[in-house]
Amino acid sequence: MKNTIKVERAKKNWTQADLAKHIGISRQGLNSIETGKFIPSTVLALRMAKVFNTTVEVLFQLDDTDS
Amino acid sequence: MEQSAKTVNQHSITFALLYGATYLPTVWLLKHRVLSQPVSVMITVIPIITFAIFIYKLIKAFSVMDEVKQRVQLEAVVIGFSLTAMLITLLFLLSLCGISNSTWFGYGYLLGYCWIFYFIGWFISRKKYGV
Repeated sequence: MKNTIKVERAKKNWTQADLAKHIGISRQGLNSIETGKFIPSTVLALRMAKVFNTTVEVLFQLDDTDS
Repeated sequence: MEQSAKTVNQHSITFALLYGATYLPTVWLLKHRVLSQPVSVMITVIPIITFAIFIYKLIKAFSVMDEVKQRVQLEAVVIGFSLTAMLITLLFLLSLCGISNSTWFGYGYLLGYCWIFYFIGWFISRKKYGV
């Protein structure tokens, strides 16, 4: 699973701490998601999409190993 | 939410310390047979009560953690439980062979190993998720 969280974050000029605060998780937790070590729940992914005003599909995509 | 999570975490740490503060003196009192047997039996209940409260507070703390931290705790508990079960199985099988060492593998030590295994699991899981 790959994600574009870093790109979306950069567009808003947010740090990891800013985004973590918006979606209600710890900064370390967000870092774990951003680096692909942890796959978030549907609720958290939707919450993230909402704060970026985008869709979950834009934020998360399956990579070759997932399909 | 952040503040309440912090408060709940602090509560679980406070009760962990309270458990330690009741467990260690109880062990000392019972080991040195300072009190009569009926009083000693009553005293054994005290650390059990503080442990139960600590576990209750710990579970409450888990519920307010974010999902990454919850996963870390879950894996730590699974690793800790598995290693403890493996150790107990090994000790049981060795006892069937007539090999037992209660000096290093008595009930008290098993409790200590259980906590050590939990922290090993916690360390491994934290490394895995980078938190």
